[in-house]
Amino acid sequence: MKSVSELTDFYYKVLYPTLNKLEKDRKHLRYRIILVGFALTFVFFLGSLALQNAFFLGLDFFAFVLFAYAGIGAFVYKILIKGYTDDFKSVIIHPLIKELDNRLSYTHLFHVAQHLFERSQLFQGRIDRISGNDFVNGEIDGVKIEFSDLHVERRHKDSRGRESWTTLFRGLFIVADFNKTFHGKTVVLPDSAQKTFGDLIGGWLQSKNLGRDELIKLDDVEFENKFVVYGTDQIEARYILSHSLMKRILAFKKKTKHPLYISFVGHAIHIAIEYNKDLFEPTVFSSLLDYKTAMEYVQTLHLAIGIIEELKLNQKLWSKR
Amino acid sequence: MSVTMIIFVVIAIILVLMYNSLVSKKNQVENIFAGVDAVLKKRYDLIPNLVASVSKYMEHEKGILEEVTKLRADANKPNISDAQKIALDAKVSSALGSIMIAVENYPELKANENVMHLQHSLNEVEEQISAARRSYNQAVTDYNNAIEMIPTNFMAQAMNYQRKAVFEIDELQRQNVNVKELFN
Repeated sequence: MKSVSELTDFYYKVLYPTLNKLEKDRKHLRYRIILVGFALTFVFFLGSLALQNAFFLGLDFFAFVLFAYAGIGAFVYKILIKGYTDDFKSVIIHPLIKELDNRLSYTHLFHVAQHLFERSQLFQGRIDRISGNDFVNGEIDGVKIEFSDLHVERRHKDSRGRESWTTLFRGLFIVADFNKTFHGKTVVLPDSAQKTFGDLIGGWLQSKNLGRDELIKLDDVEFENKFVVYGTDQIEARYILSHSLMKRILAFKKKTKHPLYISFVGHAIHIAIEYNKDLFEPTVFSSLLDYKTAMEYVQTLHLAIGIIEELKLNQKLWSKR
Repeated sequence: MSVTMIIFVVIAIILVLMYNSLVSKKNQVENIFAGVDAVLKKRYDLIPNLVASVSKYMEHEKGILEEVTKLRADANKPNISDAQKIALDAKVSSALGSIMIAVENYPELKANENVMHLQHSLNEVEEQISAARRSYNQAVTDYNNAIEMIPTNFMAQAMNYQRKAVFEIDELQRQNVNVKELFN
C-alpha cells in the first residue's frame, strides 16, 4: 500500500491541475453562496417585518421565522454546493482511493448497510434514521473490506409532540473479514467509567453494565485502561484479542486520535471511528490546496484502508485459509 | 422495627452477598477450567498423529517423542487433579516445542504435507490454549483476590476455600511454543 507521503505527493502533483480548476469553482461558489445568503436574509427580514406590522404577531411568530430561515437556508446551501461536491468526489476522492489500492471500488452515494451496523452491536438503541456516503468496498489480500461515512440517529418526541433527533454515531464505519474463526461476540468500547471513577468504582460499574454481556478483564494494562471489553465467551474473547492484537489496536487508536469502537461478530471485525462530522466533503470557505485539508482526506483514507495491514487481518490462520 | 433488627437484616444481606460472590468466583474458575481442558484435549489428540508422522525421520529425538507420548497417556488417565493437569500442560508445551525445533533439521519433514498440516493445526490450538490459560489465570486471580482480601477472606476461611494455582508460562517456553514464528 502507498504511504501517506506518497499519497500527499499524488494529491499535489497528479491531481494539481484538477484541484486548480476545482479551486476556481470553489471561489465562484463561495461568492454565490454569500450573495444568495444576503438575498435570503434580506427577504426574510423584510417579509417578517411587513407581516409583523400588518398583524402584530408575537414571539412565537419570530421563532417560527427563524426556524424557517435556518431550514430554507440549509436546503438552498445543499442545492448550491451539490454540483461542486459531486465534482470533488469524482475527480479527487475517487482517484485518491484508486491510487491507494486499485482493487477497491468507490460509490459516492452509498453507505454501509444498516444491518451491518446493527450486527456490530457497538451502539445500542433504536435506529430511526441512517444516512451516509462515500462507500468503498473491495478485497485486498483475500480480506473483504467495506467502509463509509455513517450518520445514525434516533428520534425523540417530547410531551408537546415536538420532534428532535439525537446522534447515535457519526463517523467512519469499517467492516472487514477477521482472520480467526469464532462463534460468539466480543465488543471493545472506549473506557469511560474507569477513566472517570477510577479503577475500583469504575471497574465495579463496568461489571454491572446490564445492556452488555460478561465483562472481560484483559491482561494488558494499557489496553485495559483505554478500553472496556464485553463478550459472550471469556476464552474466545482472549483468543481474538491476543497480546499482539491488543498492541496493534492500541497503536491504531493512537493514530486515529478519535474514539474507537471495535466489535467481533459473525466472521467480521467492525470498527467505528467517531469523528462527529461528515468526512471526505470538499471545503467551501477554505482552500482545497491547503495542506491541512489535503492531509485530512489522505490520512483518513489511509487509516481506513490501512487496517488490513495494521491489524494483520491478511495473516490467516490455518482453518481460515 | 427495632434498630437491632435492622442491623441484623443488613448484616445478613451482606453475608449472603459475600457468600454468593465467592461461590460465583469459584464456579467461574471451574467453568473456565472446563474450557481449558477442552482445548488441552484437542492438543493431546494431535500428538499420536504427530509422533507417527515424524518418528520415521527423527532417529535422534526418540527420547522426546516417547516422553510426549507418555505425557499424553498421563493426561488421559482418569481422576487427575486440576493442578496435575496444569503441570502436565507445561511439560507438554515444552516437549512439543522441542519437537517443532527439531523438525527444522529435517528438510523432508518440513516439506511433508501432513507434518505441515499438523504444524498449522498445532499452531492454532496453541493460540486457543494461550487464550484459555489467560482466561483461567484471570478467573483464578479474581478468586484468589476474593479469598485474601478483607472482608471476603473471613467468609472464605469459614467456607474452607483455598488458593488456586495459575498457569505459569516462562518466557523461554513461550518462545519455544510459538510455532507460527518459526515456520512462517
